[in-house]
Amino acid sequence: MSLQSAKRRRTLSTRNRPLWMLGPGLVLMALVIIIPLGLALYMSLLDLDQYTLRSWLQAPFIGLQNYVEAVTASPLLRSIWISVSYAVVVSLVTLPVGVAAALATQNRFKGRALVRSVFLIPYILPAFVVGTVWRTMMQQGGVIDSALGSAGVHTGLWLNGPQSYWTLIIVQAWSSWPFFYLLVLAGLQSVDSEVHEAAALDGAGWWIKLRYVIFPYLRGPIALALIISLLHNINSFTLPFVMFGVPAPQDVQVLSVLTYVTSFQSFRFGLSAAMAVASLIIVAIPLFVYLRAVRLDTGEEGKRA
Amino acid sequence: MRVRPTLAAIAGIAVLGLALQGCTGSSSNTSSTGGAVNGAGKTLDVLVAANTLYPDAQKQWFSDVSAQFQKETGATVKFETFATTNDELTKIQTAVVSGQGPDIYNLGTTFTPTAYSTGAFVTMTDDDWNKVGGRDRFVPATLGISGPDDNDQIGIPFASRPFVMAYNKDLLAAAGIDKPATTWDGLAQQAQKLTSGDTYGLAVAYADSFDPWKFIWGMSIQAGNPIIDGKTARIDDPVTEKAYQSYFGWLTTQHAVDPASVSWKNAQAVAAFAAGKAAFLPMTSATSKVTLDKSAVAGHYAYALLPTIPPGQTSLPSGGKAATSIISGDNTVVAKYSQNQDLDFALIKMLTSADNQTDYYKRFGELPTNQEAATALETGNADLAPILDSSAQSVGTPFSGAWGDTQLALVNVVVQSIPSLSSGSVSDSDLETQLKAAQATSQASLDKAK
Repeated sequence: MSLQSAKRRRTLSTRNRPLWMLGPGLVLMALVIIIPLGLALYMSLLDLDQYTLRSWLQAPFIGLQNYVEAVTASPLLRSIWISVSYAVVVSLVTLPVGVAAALATQNRFKGRALVRSVFLIPYILPAFVVGTVWRTMMQQGGVIDSALGSAGVHTGLWLNGPQSYWTLIIVQAWSSWPFFYLLVLAGLQSVDSEVHEAAALDGAGWWIKLRYVIFPYLRGPIALALIISLLHNINSFTLPFVMFGVPAPQDVQVLSVLTYVTSFQSFRFGLSAAMAVASLIIVAIPLFVYLRAVRLDTGEEGKRA
Repeated sequence: MRVRPTLAAIAGIAVLGLALQGCTGSSSNTSSTGGAVNGAGKTLDVLVAANTLYPDAQKQWFSDVSAQFQKETGATVKFETFATTNDELTKIQTAVVSGQGPDIYNLGTTFTPTAYSTGAFVTMTDDDWNKVGGRDRFVPATLGISGPDDNDQIGIPFASRPFVMAYNKDLLAAAGIDKPATTWDGLAQQAQKLTSGDTYGLAVAYADSFDPWKFIWGMSIQAGNPIIDGKTARIDDPVTEKAYQSYFGWLTTQHAVDPASVSWKNAQAVAAFAAGKAAFLPMTSATSKVTLDKSAVAGHYAYALLPTIPPGQTSLPSGGKAATSIISGDNTVVAKYSQNQDLDFALIKMLTSADNQTDYYKRFGELPTNQEAATALETGNADLAPILDSSAQSVGTPFSGAWGDTQLALVNVVVQSIPSLSSGSVSDSDLETQLKAAQATSQASLDKAK
């Protein structure tokens, strides 16, 4: 086939592409993502509060003042630090647990199906339930205090004070590790049985096999799980809200709770929209890094190049 | 995929508003022809708080009200409920932005200032008041939080739930105390005396999201500080600091409170009292009767007024107000966008009539705001006296759009002090730092108030 004809065929197929079929998707995307996002951006530039809410389109335009206030006069930066650091810690803690659990249930054994189901329980429980149960267990003089107390350990407050940050990490880790487990398990299914055979024939020990044969297969799923877990934890609202209530103790005033309180308790919708936009940017950073890494953003052409 | 929930929620409300703004103002108004309003074929939409104590009785009440209203006007009533304050706020915000939603709202009294500041509810003219039966039919104190002044009222008092204190008669008698103290200092002393073993003098919910500010506001106003004074916030006032010190002191100085109460919500404090583990349950209302009458202390407890002499004093200082409670209960407001305002007023007139208010008290234990019904109740029930007294001596929290933020700031001081409280002492310097922050928040909110 000559170069000439190949080129002509591509132009032909480009011309006849039924682009109109993208229409419904485009409309949906505009309705669900673009318009709300645009409105949120616009709201973040307005002095929108309880006094102006009723005719909000006429709310005074104040430019970037909400952003300035969010950064200089609100606990936003502190909340960002709490959210991001706690999300990173939870992700890093749950990663090895999830991988280990997936590896442990990889080979057949009696009762494997049961174990696999049990592993998923923390993940399928609604965050509201998880939060309520843990809050009850961890309150002053509660089950955990008395259990530790009878072992001679006195830990102090779980639900307020500096330790509450670790409480949040423990509970979030408890409820989210099966996510890594699920994705790694899926990754393990994609390892060909020939690979296992070949490794066995070459006399590889379990660690060598794991490190040089299995892990390379898991790099993709683990990276994906890390990114999603990070985003999920940064956005987590229900768990901290249910466990610590509002006003939140300052050590667990995460970004989502701060935005919520600003919006729905203080009625500063403009300010909280600015906070939400700031949090969007923070969430976008790891997402961008990930998309660059797997080149999902450049499509097939980019991958080929 | 989980997308930033708050951002989506805010934007969602906005979109809704945009979409619905064009839809209002099309249907016709109800015609008012002199006496009875004709509402044949119409339906009113009323938003009320879900009654978690008596859910079945509430359903029955809904259908009874609707039936009675249909008989009187031909219109039916559809009730919607909200389960939590957050639920309430979301519904109101959506309605405010979209100009669509319930015709009538039953709001908590302390939320009335915020509702007023949105400008979305009908300011009652004299004519409007007449349509609901006249201002005179209500207990005067209950009108105290209907609006910033007499000419700008949006809230029509519907139910009264004043705060009182429950005490365990047996525990007090055993300790040789003949009646509860009327000063906060006296109460602290009695509580200390009543504490022994695992029985404590006071049941206090330090971790509740609402209780703490009621104590602090109450002690402050008794000492002459209304917290919001015109355009000035006064959270950093010495009398307010003193209020916090005595509130914390029950645990750190008198040791008269269960140490576990640093993580208690209100329900846990009620439970401790109900189990006979506490002598006093301050900051409760008549609605706790249901729980208490089914508990170990049934028949062994009574209600009394909360102390009205501020901490550190033996008599009411000049400028102080002997507030027994915040004006607590429900106000009814009518939405400006409602197409059936005359019908709305007719329903409110029916619900605030003496008969219906008495009936409501019998069903739910909430006090009438109708003067005639309140007087009738007083003559028949001696044990209700402290509760009715408290209703009459209630003082309204400041009527300011900044009150929501101020209230939150007052609670936040307690929330952030819990770690020190738990370890045994809240230092004055820590407390002052917290108060300064709360003062700044409240003042900033006041500066924005319009």
